[in-house]
Amino acid sequence: MREFLRRWQGVILAAIGVVATLWLAATNRLGFYIHPRYFLFTVVMAVIAVVFVVGAFAVVPLLRRRATDAAGPEADGDEMDHDHDHDHDHGADAAEAGPAASARRRLGTAAGVAIVAGTAVALLVLPPATLTTATAENRELNAAAVGPDSAAPDLVGGDTSSFTVKDWALLLRQNPDPADFVDPVEVTGFVLPSPDDPDVFYVARFTVTCCAVDAQPVGVPVHLPGWQDRFSADDWVAAEGRLGDDPAGGPSPVLIPESLEPTEQPEQPYVF
Amino acid sequence: MGVAAVLLLSVRSFAPAETGAALSDGVRDGITLAISVVIESLPFVFLGIVLSIAVQLFLPADFLVRRLPRNPWVRRAVVSMFGVLLPVCECGNVPLARGLMLRGLSVGESMTFLLAAPILNPVTIVVTYQAFGWEDGILAWRIVGGFLVANLIGWIFSRHPDPMRLLTPGFQATCAHAADEQAAHAGGGTGGRGSASAKARQAVRMFADETSAMLPALMVGSAIAGAIQIAISRDVLVAVGQDAVWSVVALMLLAFVISICSNVDAFFALAFGSTFLPGAIIAFLVFGPMIDIKMLALMRTTFTARTLVQVTAVVALASAAIGLGVNALA
Repeated sequence: MREFLRRWQGVILAAIGVVATLWLAATNRLGFYIHPRYFLFTVVMAVIAVVFVVGAFAVVPLLRRRATDAAGPEADGDEMDHDHDHDHDHGADAAEAGPAASARRRLGTAAGVAIVAGTAVALLVLPPATLTTATAENRELNAAAVGPDSAAPDLVGGDTSSFTVKDWALLLRQNPDPADFVDPVEVTGFVLPSPDDPDVFYVARFTVTCCAVDAQPVGVPVHLPGWQDRFSADDWVAAEGRLGDDPAGGPSPVLIPESLEPTEQPEQPYVF
Repeated sequence: MGVAAVLLLSVRSFAPAETGAALSDGVRDGITLAISVVIESLPFVFLGIVLSIAVQLFLPADFLVRRLPRNPWVRRAVVSMFGVLLPVCECGNVPLARGLMLRGLSVGESMTFLLAAPILNPVTIVVTYQAFGWEDGILAWRIVGGFLVANLIGWIFSRHPDPMRLLTPGFQATCAHAADEQAAHAGGGTGGRGSASAKARQAVRMFADETSAMLPALMVGSAIAGAIQIAISRDVLVAVGQDAVWSVVALMLLAFVISICSNVDAFFALAFGSTFLPGAIIAFLVFGPMIDIKMLALMRTTFTARTLVQVTAVVALASAAIGLGVNALA
């Protein structure tokens, strides 16, 4: 087991990672984890890794057979040379015999198996998931600057029909006058309860600049007393309505919804 | 081979969608964050391994050593600029640094490369410029700070009487083996040695060895980074953001914990621009690319724990000094 692990652990982990990556790419869910600008690079490197993994399955057993056939660790030849750092290790193991060393070796093997198993479960068994309100609550909502294109969009007279949650959130940070907006606001996002006002929740999305690790929540506040009866945190909703002054007297306008419907999580749950 | 591929694919395709439903949102997010670190870093690690293999297979053994300047200070200064030519993310740098060490770079020099390259490379610099422009000298301090800290570390470890002892026994053996091989093949040079198919076999062999060293470390580092992110509340960190001293400490801790890629960490830091003092941002941008949980796990494949504790301490103190200095002057 131990010998098998030493020889194959890297190749197996690489294979798991590559299968997971390519599968996410094929099912259009790579975006759950990384920014679209990395898609091509990620897929190309995964394909290159496939070549090496296939090569390893073809070559490594062959090397092993030849090494056993050969007279000993000093056997000459290009490939065998590369085997013999392993043989050095064998020597070291033999030298540190005794119960402590063998217990440590068993522990090492167990850890190695655990890493492979854990990786396989996380990457291959668990369904791909996006971040939830648990993370949104632990990060600053509508932080001062979100990503490279965070200049607030032009609004007055601008076309707001294509605005995302992020655009609206950036705009609302400037406390604009609701009277400037005649067109209805349409946004889709997940429900994020407001920490301050029980009558308000945010229609929120995560904005991602590199990968989910740097996800920052952005959201448009929706004023709807009793919203808790219809929705719970993390539900995806499509909201339509108009901006109005915050009935609680806050400086920033809120969305007064005219329609609010549950919806499916969109194919690309993050905004960029 | 075919069986293994079909097995992995079918596990992925037929795993029931309800798996994991029993986990709480916090735990699921921790797993999602860890997976995103893996998916993001994996291609960079592969790239680093492929470059490392190329360096070892195609670069003649003494190519680097012969061409670098002889004066150790100038030499390390040049080594810290390698990132300009090889703009690999920091996770890809570890396999590459291993490859460079096997090709005759000293331990101190490869550390300088390892620490400087994530900061002194075009991608990082352009992204930092996009995020901060010239504001508060953040970009300038990041470049200068990264260079100084990396060269400081290189100098300190170049004074070690027996640099091989800084390395793990496993990597020492690999180095010794590479040296034997170079001696054995001296004269021939790597370039002319072996047929194309022998080289292909060798490349695959190296891939198996390097992934065996790197990937378990990456998986463990990512898992820890994911777990800690859901365990530490950000409120605590942000609360200290306006203090000249504590803001620096807090953002350095954050950099250590989140293990974000140096190519994009500037955007992440931007989110803290309003709440944190510029010195803290600079400390974050200098310290984070050099040392974090994921990097320590990866570097542990090559350096002893003792060495890494020392490196971490020196880098942390130097980054903190830069950050505190900027805060004091601002």
